[in-house]
Amino acid sequence: MLNHIIYWLTQKRWLIISLLLGVILINLPTPEGLTISGYHTLIIVIIAILLIISEPIPLPATALLIIILEVVFGIASPNEAANSFMSDAVFFIMGSLMLAVAIVSQGLDTRLALGIIRLTGNRTWKIVLGFVGISALLSSFIGEHTVTAMMMPVGLTLVRYTNKDIGKIKRLTSLILFSIAYGSAIGSIGTPSGGGRNVIMLDYWRGFGIADISYLEWMKYTYPMLLVEIPLAVLILWFTFTPERKILDSAVRKLKVQVAKSGRIKGREILAILIFIAVFLGWVFLSPKIGLGIVALLGVVSYLIFGLIKWEDLNRNTNWGVIILFGAAISLGVQMTETGAAMWVAEKAISGLKFVTPNIEILRWFVAVFLTGVMTNLLSNAATVAVIGPIVLNMGGDQILLGFSTAIASAFAYLTVVASPTCMIIHSSGLITSRDYLKAGWKMFLMSAAVLFLMYQLW
Amino acid sequence: MKFLIAIGGKEFSEPTLQVGLAVAKAFNATTTIAYVGSKVNAFTADSVRLAQESMERWEIEQPGVEVLEWAYNYLAGNKYIDPLSIEAGFQKNTLVETAVNRLQLFLSGTFCKNVELILRRGDIIPELRSEVEAHNYDVTIIGGSQKRRMAHDLVQYIDSSIFVVNHFDNSKKYKLLLAVDDSKGTSNAVSYGVRVAKAFKMPVDVLTVSKKEHFGKGYQDAHMHALKVFERENIQATSHLKVGDPVKTIKDSAGEDHIIVMGVSHRNPIAKFLFASKPLKVMEECKCPVLIVK
Repeated sequence: MLNHIIYWLTQKRWLIISLLLGVILINLPTPEGLTISGYHTLIIVIIAILLIISEPIPLPATALLIIILEVVFGIASPNEAANSFMSDAVFFIMGSLMLAVAIVSQGLDTRLALGIIRLTGNRTWKIVLGFVGISALLSSFIGEHTVTAMMMPVGLTLVRYTNKDIGKIKRLTSLILFSIAYGSAIGSIGTPSGGGRNVIMLDYWRGFGIADISYLEWMKYTYPMLLVEIPLAVLILWFTFTPERKILDSAVRKLKVQVAKSGRIKGREILAILIFIAVFLGWVFLSPKIGLGIVALLGVVSYLIFGLIKWEDLNRNTNWGVIILFGAAISLGVQMTETGAAMWVAEKAISGLKFVTPNIEILRWFVAVFLTGVMTNLLSNAATVAVIGPIVLNMGGDQILLGFSTAIASAFAYLTVVASPTCMIIHSSGLITSRDYLKAGWKMFLMSAAVLFLMYQLW
Repeated sequence: MKFLIAIGGKEFSEPTLQVGLAVAKAFNATTTIAYVGSKVNAFTADSVRLAQESMERWEIEQPGVEVLEWAYNYLAGNKYIDPLSIEAGFQKNTLVETAVNRLQLFLSGTFCKNVELILRRGDIIPELRSEVEAHNYDVTIIGGSQKRRMAHDLVQYIDSSIFVVNHFDNSKKYKLLLAVDDSKGTSNAVSYGVRVAKAFKMPVDVLTVSKKEHFGKGYQDAHMHALKVFERENIQATSHLKVGDPVKTIKDSAGEDHIIVMGVSHRNPIAKFLFASKPLKVMEECKCPVLIVK
């Protein structure tokens, strides 16, 4: 029995540390300039971040704990907590996770494979450009994890056809897989539907009365950056993982033969594409009235009505726990603004990092990108925007540009396996090591930050 | 009896599999070979599952299956599974999800009825612990090349005997070193020692270490009992009564050519956690395989 208790304690040590830290902090005097509710909100943020990173309890339990603590600390009434928990951004995250399941299950990956090969031919550099480019363009509309899930088998098949002993083509394997993952990450900034974090930022702008940015307006800001990043990412990846083979003729031929087996495009595949196009048009034209989340859910319902996906499959493959967690994180973000905690952290961050530059505009940008860039590699990108967003929007300066910088910097999750679903998906192949992420990731991070800085100057 | 052999991948696990299966055969034990793949964090679990379903359509197996295939080939090559299972080849489509995050392949064994291959995903200690708890294994066999801390945690938290296949060299002729004292675990250790020595036809060194010059009655009785048991089983056993620090003496006596068998410590779990126990220290310091019998 005692052994079981010791085991439990060792497994839950981060839960114990987090809660103890919470108890200590709550007994310390409230920092100057911060309201008591603001202080309590920050304590919840610290506990939540520790629990999310160390995962001693399931993520949904962390989410529920956030809501419970908000009410117990008197930061929000039960109804206020419930209201801030559910928003269009949460609907969007729910809808996009379900859309991903619906789209991936249609088997459109074979069509994608054919498209890439036709475009690129058999030269490795062209194939890499094809993977990065197509992953980026597609993920800007349908989300990075959906694209990576569809592209990874195509990439792996190509690698396997090149040489069955993957140990002999390690660099080529890394090159192809990172092209997919980083290409998808780059693309996810392109439109609001590229990632839940974009919609969270839109929601904050709207909720805090800052602005109502449309789908196309978002694209005007972010798409140029996406297009600039594609060739730069190809160069970085090429010189980091210079491949063992410069031409993949036999592999491409074999892939063509395999893809040809799937025959001509089927009616249900066309229908699946048409529904997605309708969803896209809905995001562009209807979302100002009914919200991005509702449009995404409309798409899900359409897939269900036309029998393109079964509810059981949607239910099995949708991560409900993550949806609850994002709801809780957004709720916490709202409370950070309402209690003044976000403003307090923003002021402290600005005064603490004054040594970086005397130019306050650049300093604000640096704080937004630095905080977001670090957090997104430790946490999840959507959770990062949910927590950092309110701080950035309370720093002063141009809230739109800083908001864009934050949402975009949350895509710089290149450095760790856990940073984003795309990184975790390629790692799950068992062919990429944690060290590989650092090898290419820091260059991608610096390149993306530099391009973002240039865009910030141009906006 | 039920044995669990935990393998860590193709590169390093051959000695673990080789010794583990030989010991399991000695006990005619139902054997499960388990591979624990890397953990997927909760944020991305659904996306990874989606990607894997997508890969299945392209006939790309999920990571870890190739390790099971390698283990299958080892079983087939050494005739640990029946000819029908060998003839059928590695049927990855018969991997069954028997629990959340647990894929299982059933095979018919030659030395026992069932040999199973298991693929789990997650942190290794909790996964092996829940595997042992759910299926009541008597012995868990792990490789010595794995992290020290991990072997330590397995001994501390897993409720079965633990065999750490540490620095095993196939070309060496091993002897069995049975460490005996007056603790409760000793009689079980003697029983295991007999079966291992018989199976591998090993000579045995029975070692009792006392910190004081005078050997207490409990120590002497346990030592004599062990010698008698080996004599009864017609196994050549040599008596060693030594004075000194138990861990250092066992380590020095074992060298690199013994398989150490000893009983688990019945020390208070808190004391074990804080200060470790004799078997834990032996396992950490010795450069040979160690079987800690619970």
